[in-house]
Amino acid sequence: MKTLFVIYDSECGFCCRCRQWLAQQPAYLDLRFFQRNSPEVVCRFPGIEKLLRLDELLVVSDEGAVYRGAHAWVMCLYALREYREWASKLAHPSLLPFAWRAYELFSENRREFSRWMKLLPEEEIAKKIRQHSPPPVCSNERKP
Amino acid sequence: MITHTVWTYIGYLVISVALTIWVARTLHKNGRIFLVDSFLGNEKLADSVNHLLVVGFYLINIGYVTLALKYGDRPSDLQQVLETLSTKIGFVLLVLGVMHFFNLYVFSKMRRRALLRGQPPPVIPQAHLGQPVVAS
Repeated sequence: MKTLFVIYDSECGFCCRCRQWLAQQPAYLDLRFFQRNSPEVVCRFPGIEKLLRLDELLVVSDEGAVYRGAHAWVMCLYALREYREWASKLAHPSLLPFAWRAYELFSENRREFSRWMKLLPEEEIAKKIRQHSPPPVCSNERKP
Repeated sequence: MITHTVWTYIGYLVISVALTIWVARTLHKNGRIFLVDSFLGNEKLADSVNHLLVVGFYLINIGYVTLALKYGDRPSDLQQVLETLSTKIGFVLLVLGVMHFFNLYVFSKMRRRALLRGQPPPVIPQAHLGQPVVAS
């Protein structure tokens, strides 16, 4: 296993922040991120449509293995140098049910949580930047 | 004339430095196998790190021994010489012990990290796409 593909909800601000954080961490595996509503996901991962309907975080390995929910969280931690040990601890049979409960609780309320934390999704941030950016300088306005 | 204090200092320096050398050599000899394992069999790198660790060990311990030389009572008879020497060497032994366990902690941490690198995924997949995914 060399690459993990993380399919996340780009409409959830907290998920976008987690994606940024994951991308910045030193990792053992190459992490690639895909927005769940992107048409590229269905093309790249044939047969994933049914799993996309579950509205969960998905992680796909380059071997084609699919992890969802708390298992996907654990796999994201497994990819990181500093957190692989945590992934092993979290995957222990005595802790994994708690991880699942925490995941479900958070996942059901992720939009409200993002609003409460004032974390905007990537598209809204891009929209805001576009609104506040100055108009482009036209080349024909330059003085000769 | 050499006073009791000077004899104490000489004894302290000789015993402390000898103890430091003994612990450092033990660490150097027995720590190597840990390091070779931690660096996935890269013996050159393991030897280099081992040497650097021993240099750090010597610097800290001999630094402490020389700094602590003048602290303590000034003995005026043989009984006080032995008491002062014992106290001072006791402190050196404690410092050596702390440093030794710190080194063991570093070795074991490096080894654990190396083992983590080759660890298989901790959870089993819940589904399979039936074909590998091309990472382009």
